[in-house]
Amino acid sequence: MTATRTPDVPRTLDPRQPPPIPRRAASKRAARKSGLFGWLMVAPAVFHIGLWTAIPVLATIALSFTDYDIFDAPAWIGLDNYVEIFQDPVFGQATWNTIVYTFWTVPASMAIAMVIAVALNQNLRLRTWFRTAFFLPQVTATVAIAMVWLWIFNPQQGLLNGILSVVGIPGQAWLADPEWALPSVILVGAWQGIGIKMLIYIAALQNVDPSLYEAAAVDGAGPIRKFFAITVPMLKPATFFVLIISIIGAFQVFDQIYVLTDGGPANSTTMMTYEVYRSAFQNFEMGMASAQSVLLFLMLLVMTVIGRRATKGDEG
Amino acid sequence: MTAEPLTTRSLVTGAHEDFPTKPAGRRRNRRWIGRVVLNLALTLGALTMVVPFIWMIATSLKSPAELAEFPPTFLPKVWEWSNYPEALQAAPFATYFRNSFIISASHTIITLIFAAMAGYSLARIRFRGRELVFLGFVAMLMIPTYTKIVPQFLLVKFMPLFGGNDILGQGGSGWLNTWWALIIPGGLSATAIFLFRQFYLSLPTELAEAARIDGLSEFRIFSRIYTPLIKPAIATVALLTFQESWNNFLWPLLVTTRDDLRVIQVGLAVFQQLDGTQWQYLMAGTTMATIPMVLLFLFCQKYFIQGFTNAGIK
Repeated sequence: MTATRTPDVPRTLDPRQPPPIPRRAASKRAARKSGLFGWLMVAPAVFHIGLWTAIPVLATIALSFTDYDIFDAPAWIGLDNYVEIFQDPVFGQATWNTIVYTFWTVPASMAIAMVIAVALNQNLRLRTWFRTAFFLPQVTATVAIAMVWLWIFNPQQGLLNGILSVVGIPGQAWLADPEWALPSVILVGAWQGIGIKMLIYIAALQNVDPSLYEAAAVDGAGPIRKFFAITVPMLKPATFFVLIISIIGAFQVFDQIYVLTDGGPANSTTMMTYEVYRSAFQNFEMGMASAQSVLLFLMLLVMTVIGRRATKGDEG
Repeated sequence: MTAEPLTTRSLVTGAHEDFPTKPAGRRRNRRWIGRVVLNLALTLGALTMVVPFIWMIATSLKSPAELAEFPPTFLPKVWEWSNYPEALQAAPFATYFRNSFIISASHTIITLIFAAMAGYSLARIRFRGRELVFLGFVAMLMIPTYTKIVPQFLLVKFMPLFGGNDILGQGGSGWLNTWWALIIPGGLSATAIFLFRQFYLSLPTELAEAARIDGLSEFRIFSRIYTPLIKPAIATVALLTFQESWNNFLWPLLVTTRDDLRVIQVGLAVFQQLDGTQWQYLMAGTTMATIPMVLLFLFCQKYFIQGFTNAGIK
């Protein structure tokens, strides 16, 4: 029964092609049957993503115009939440901290990751070992990692101050000092995130045409010149990809803040996500938290567009 | 021309100095020095990555007296293996561990079944509205966790007819402090669906046509013909899902307060807040939370790397 129905439906590999117009009644029936099957297969996922992602996003936007504490019904207050956010110095600080954090854990780390990837792209005997080591923090839970760093940063018995004391540099109260807390958090974020950036660059380097380097060598270009004239431009698409996923990741930094500093001291390490968390789950201001998360999303969109401009250039 | 032939790798990195005008000996010397410097720099970098892990394990095996020393010892003088059983006494890490495992395994199973079905449907079956569904999923890929977390929490809290709630979701605690909240909302992600679609798209369509001529049903074509062909992809998605779920912190933190439902990451954070000075136990717990993922990664590196380069998750 099934045997007769599909061979006359032309199939293409391109998923964007519209379904072909069936020529006979039998194939029309077959198309309807396959349509039903397609919907049945995708239905659980549509239901789940719809309920747990699509509806929540719309609800977040709607709630951002309300005053809502869970216990009483939401009250419509228009743009009041947004007005309040723009007058809130703590949220301003959180936004700035997020931008600073993103700057150091994304573009700066990407540059280092690119250099490591280029180095690892050579025939080194320990290549796989190096790659494993650089990638190890990426697969480990951020909470566990933050716990280890909390201990490394410990002013009394921590490893960092221990090493510094051997060299003769006075130690710091890293996470308790408003000057040092944000750099410490950034260090942890950069340390953990370098592996994934490196990995994508390694994959992209496999696709760079070797004849380009041959031609450059004939023209007398040295290794540094080759790096900037060939490697960097050829890695542009990968750079765009890494940039976008890293920005999205960096903007959502939460776990290490929760463990390392709780946003302090004096709000020096609080982030936009942390303010969303505080508003919603410590102060029970669901409307305010929603407005803050809408702003977070908008900033992420803006950053993505800027990133696209910066890395894609004329390719558009 | 004594120099070795140009290899792809050396060309890509430009490390290969191959100017025929230079004397061969000097060239080889310079290359040798370059190699040593490169290896040293990479070793230093790799050590920076690994030392915190060694420090974690070393701390978990030290006595409180040794932990109080400054400057700290790196490796323990006396290896206190008893720290581990004592840590399991100090906090219910075994329960946390079991909970994390149950949740991660459930998320992986749910994802493998339903994301594969959806991915296959979007890649291989023609139906009205398919493009719209696909675009919808792609849009959902972009949504940050924090832009949906408040309503997700409210959905859980006001889940009708659960946890003492009436049909309108009022009066009780809904799914809060239940396995439902831990397992269902995080069970499926748009990323997994997207990955599965890509994998199924890479397979030829002729297989399905041949199978139809042989009289196989559409569901069997999916389950018996195509799915076995993407086994490596399944392994990749499974590992990524398991890892993501094992490492998740915020969601279990929000929806559970009961100790017997806590996952390992939340358990660690709570233990740190309550007994923050007992570093040997805290690091023992952290080691236990970390080791499963590290081992999984070391043994299945190929699939992890494939998955991370494809999806760029996290």
